[in-house]
Amino acid sequence: MKILVPIQLVPDLVEELVIAQDGKRLDLDATRWIISEFDDHAIEQAILLKEKIGGEVTVIAPDFEGTEDVLYQALAKGADQVVKLSGDFQSELNTHALARLVVHYLQTKSERPDLILTGVQANSSLDGSLGPLLAAYLDLPFVDCVAQTEIEDQKITVRKEYPGGLTADWSVALPVVLGIQAANTPPRYVPISKMRLAMKTGSIATEEVGELDLSGAVDSTRMYTPEADQRAQMIDGDVDQVAEKLVALFKELGVL
Amino acid sequence: MPERIDFWGIPHPWGPILVYALLGLATLILVVRFYQRARVWWQTGLPEKRWDHLPTRLGRLVKYAILQVRVLGQRYPGIMHAALAWSFFVLFLGTAFATINGHFITFLQGSSYLVYKLTLDVFSVVFLVGAGMAAYRRFVLRPARLTLQGKFTWSLVFLVFIVLNGLLIESLRLAIEKPAWALWSPAGWAIAQLWIASGASQGALYNWHLGVYTLHFVTVSAFFVTLPTGTLVHLLTAPLNVFFSKIDRPAGRLAALPETKEGEPIYADRLAHLSWKQILDSEACTECGRCQEVCPAYASNKQLSPKQLVVDIREKLHEEWATAKSKPTEPAPLVNGQIREADVWSCTTCGACDQECPVLVEHVDTLVDLRRSLVIEGRMDARLQDALAGLSRYGNSFGQSERNRAKWSQALPTKIKDARKEPVEYLWFVGDYASYNPAITEITRQAAQVFQSAGLDFGILYEAERNAGNDARRAGEEGLFEYLVEKNSAALAKCDFQAIFTTDPHTFNTLKNEYPGDVLAGRPVLHYTEVLERLIARGQLRFERALDAVVTYHDPCYLGRYNGVYAAPRRVLAALGCRLVEMPRHGAHAFCCGAGGGRIWMEEGEMQERPSENRIREAAALGSVSTLVVACPKDVAMFRDALKTTSLEGRLVVKDLVELVHEALEPVAVASPEGLTENGGKDG
Repeated sequence: MKILVPIQLVPDLVEELVIAQDGKRLDLDATRWIISEFDDHAIEQAILLKEKIGGEVTVIAPDFEGTEDVLYQALAKGADQVVKLSGDFQSELNTHALARLVVHYLQTKSERPDLILTGVQANSSLDGSLGPLLAAYLDLPFVDCVAQTEIEDQKITVRKEYPGGLTADWSVALPVVLGIQAANTPPRYVPISKMRLAMKTGSIATEEVGELDLSGAVDSTRMYTPEADQRAQMIDGDVDQVAEKLVALFKELGVL
Repeated sequence: MPERIDFWGIPHPWGPILVYALLGLATLILVVRFYQRARVWWQTGLPEKRWDHLPTRLGRLVKYAILQVRVLGQRYPGIMHAALAWSFFVLFLGTAFATINGHFITFLQGSSYLVYKLTLDVFSVVFLVGAGMAAYRRFVLRPARLTLQGKFTWSLVFLVFIVLNGLLIESLRLAIEKPAWALWSPAGWAIAQLWIASGASQGALYNWHLGVYTLHFVTVSAFFVTLPTGTLVHLLTAPLNVFFSKIDRPAGRLAALPETKEGEPIYADRLAHLSWKQILDSEACTECGRCQEVCPAYASNKQLSPKQLVVDIREKLHEEWATAKSKPTEPAPLVNGQIREADVWSCTTCGACDQECPVLVEHVDTLVDLRRSLVIEGRMDARLQDALAGLSRYGNSFGQSERNRAKWSQALPTKIKDARKEPVEYLWFVGDYASYNPAITEITRQAAQVFQSAGLDFGILYEAERNAGNDARRAGEEGLFEYLVEKNSAALAKCDFQAIFTTDPHTFNTLKNEYPGDVLAGRPVLHYTEVLERLIARGQLRFERALDAVVTYHDPCYLGRYNGVYAAPRRVLAALGCRLVEMPRHGAHAFCCGAGGGRIWMEEGEMQERPSENRIREAAALGSVSTLVVACPKDVAMFRDALKTTSLEGRLVVKDLVELVHEALEPVAVASPEGLTENGGKDG
């Protein structure tokens, strides 16, 4: 079975985020990048499936600062192939464009993956998440918010969590795109010595991408840090007084 | 003239022939059986060089195996064991002398014979006294640490039987001969009075003598034959273990991973991946349980016992060889076979077990090797995983940006020199807890102010500092340790400094003992308590007032036990005017706070009493003491937590030594709710 895991790097929130001069986006030069947490789970789930039934795992990522470390780490975990999409897009890539890059990469290959696993969301996506876009472009079924994945005889059973404490098991035929919320077990630790071995013996395939098609994204008008608000108002007094004041307040606000 | 008569009362010539034949055969069996046991060590374990430094090794043999200084470190068991062991040596030597006297050089005659007789007699009695103490201990005192199994009791009975028989033989001979010098064998002569009083005929006594004599040599032969498999095998394995104990590195330096011929690291996931010396450790263990008694992990959860760890390895060894009859081909895993994973993680690497062991078993090294075998498989708890991931990405276990490492220093009125940009005399390696833990950074600032006011020429590495790696290494992440060493070494190489000092004793240990020699190039590594001591001695630190408090001091494991720094913090306390009251467990015997070896990053697991709680109760039990003084940022965190969980907050305060120094620099007492002067003044 062939599994493709498209991943992306997102701003590492241990650093303070800086808003660019134009006030519409992050200052990406001041940003430190880290693998999106959900994508880390997608890699883990892919490796778990491979360990169970065999197959080949390919991890693909756009070339940001830090992408190589993430890809070597995927190799150390057990990925068979890692691909870096190379181009100058650190400052402008959006999810639509990334989805098209991944689709374009697949079109150059003779074999299609049986399974595409990607993180349910990424904290930097302004234009939706990658999974549905890929499913749409590739015309594949898609299940989102997957918290558990089992496989048997080319059939995948996924557990999806719904609001209100509901969960459902879905049986899906391959090929399929899954938006991974959590792997069956948390992402594994990669000892540094294994990481170093991967860096020494593994190799990263590089795919040059051409002109970017950035269409489909949203245009932000303003980006800003949360602003302090003074609207909270404490109401003192006993129960009756508080009730009286509340009624007066509601009337004043026009809700009564 | 008194002289020794060989084979007195034994029919010649076949009597002596039989005795020599029997003992010769028994000795041969002993050698063969012991060889069969010993060859398993090197046939199973990895090679390790332990033949160097012969004079030092022989010295240790005398000190630990013959003089038994570790055994004597505890009064009752020490005296008990010395009585048994030294008597055993003397009686064994006595027999050897008798043989030499009979066949080679005759020297046991006249007064030398009398002294000889007296010595043997006295030591027979000493032996019996020791045996009595052992029986009393085993059946009445029954200390929890001891393995109370029949096999140990039988060994004792066996030895007592042999010695008593010896005395009986002597007494029967004396009863027949009634020599003028019989009083030189007081015990034998006393027993002889029984036979004389019984009025038994000489013939009957001769027969008795021959019978007991025969029994004696049969039991001695049985002793020889069973020695290599019984509990008394430690007569052979303990001296060997002492002889081969580690010499080439200090206690604070762990060995690198063993490697195959091709340079591939070997992880201790199975018995065959331990070294032959680690296997010998298990064979030398006498199950005395002193390690268990001092183990903080055992005290807190009754799971990990260093003794049981060693015994588990031995049992696994014997089990594998028993089923395979030769070197096993498909060995089962060590951890989660005999040894539970949770136990491997509960060790704090405090080193108390290694220090206690009378036969110099190296528990901590083996334990870390087991952890390494788990970490390489990614097996660890989630909290430890987060901490290690933080260390590799950000260089600290707090998962915070390295850019914030020196944020604590921003609130200082005087900026600290940047050691990367200008030369400094002292480079202060601040460490994670002192840099990032918000509850501790205030103490770090006070330390900086103390050094500044003493005019110390010092600087820090700012963002370039990384966790030094001591605890990552002890958690079993060897690759991460190497990575951190590389990062710090590169940063240090760009700085101009004369000496390093650290806040954290763990950092101190690894910089001092484990960093490559070229990084420090002979420049000293100090702990800040040593710097304070120097500053006081040179008159650079002058206190405005004496603190006049009654305090106790907790020796951090990696400062005290591992590196022998006991005096410096105590001298600083004395200079401050504090009166120090020691806890029962202090100095080398200090009880661990529970934070070391990466434990501070791990899930706690089941705890009956945290080591820090155990320790804080010990401090609180010292009636007059109002302050527990510590010299490690992790101790501040551990013990302040323990104060809350034991509800001892009103009873004690926990202070870092440098807080006291800072306080004494103020001209007037600083009003604070938990201030020293209020409490201390009352008691001091």
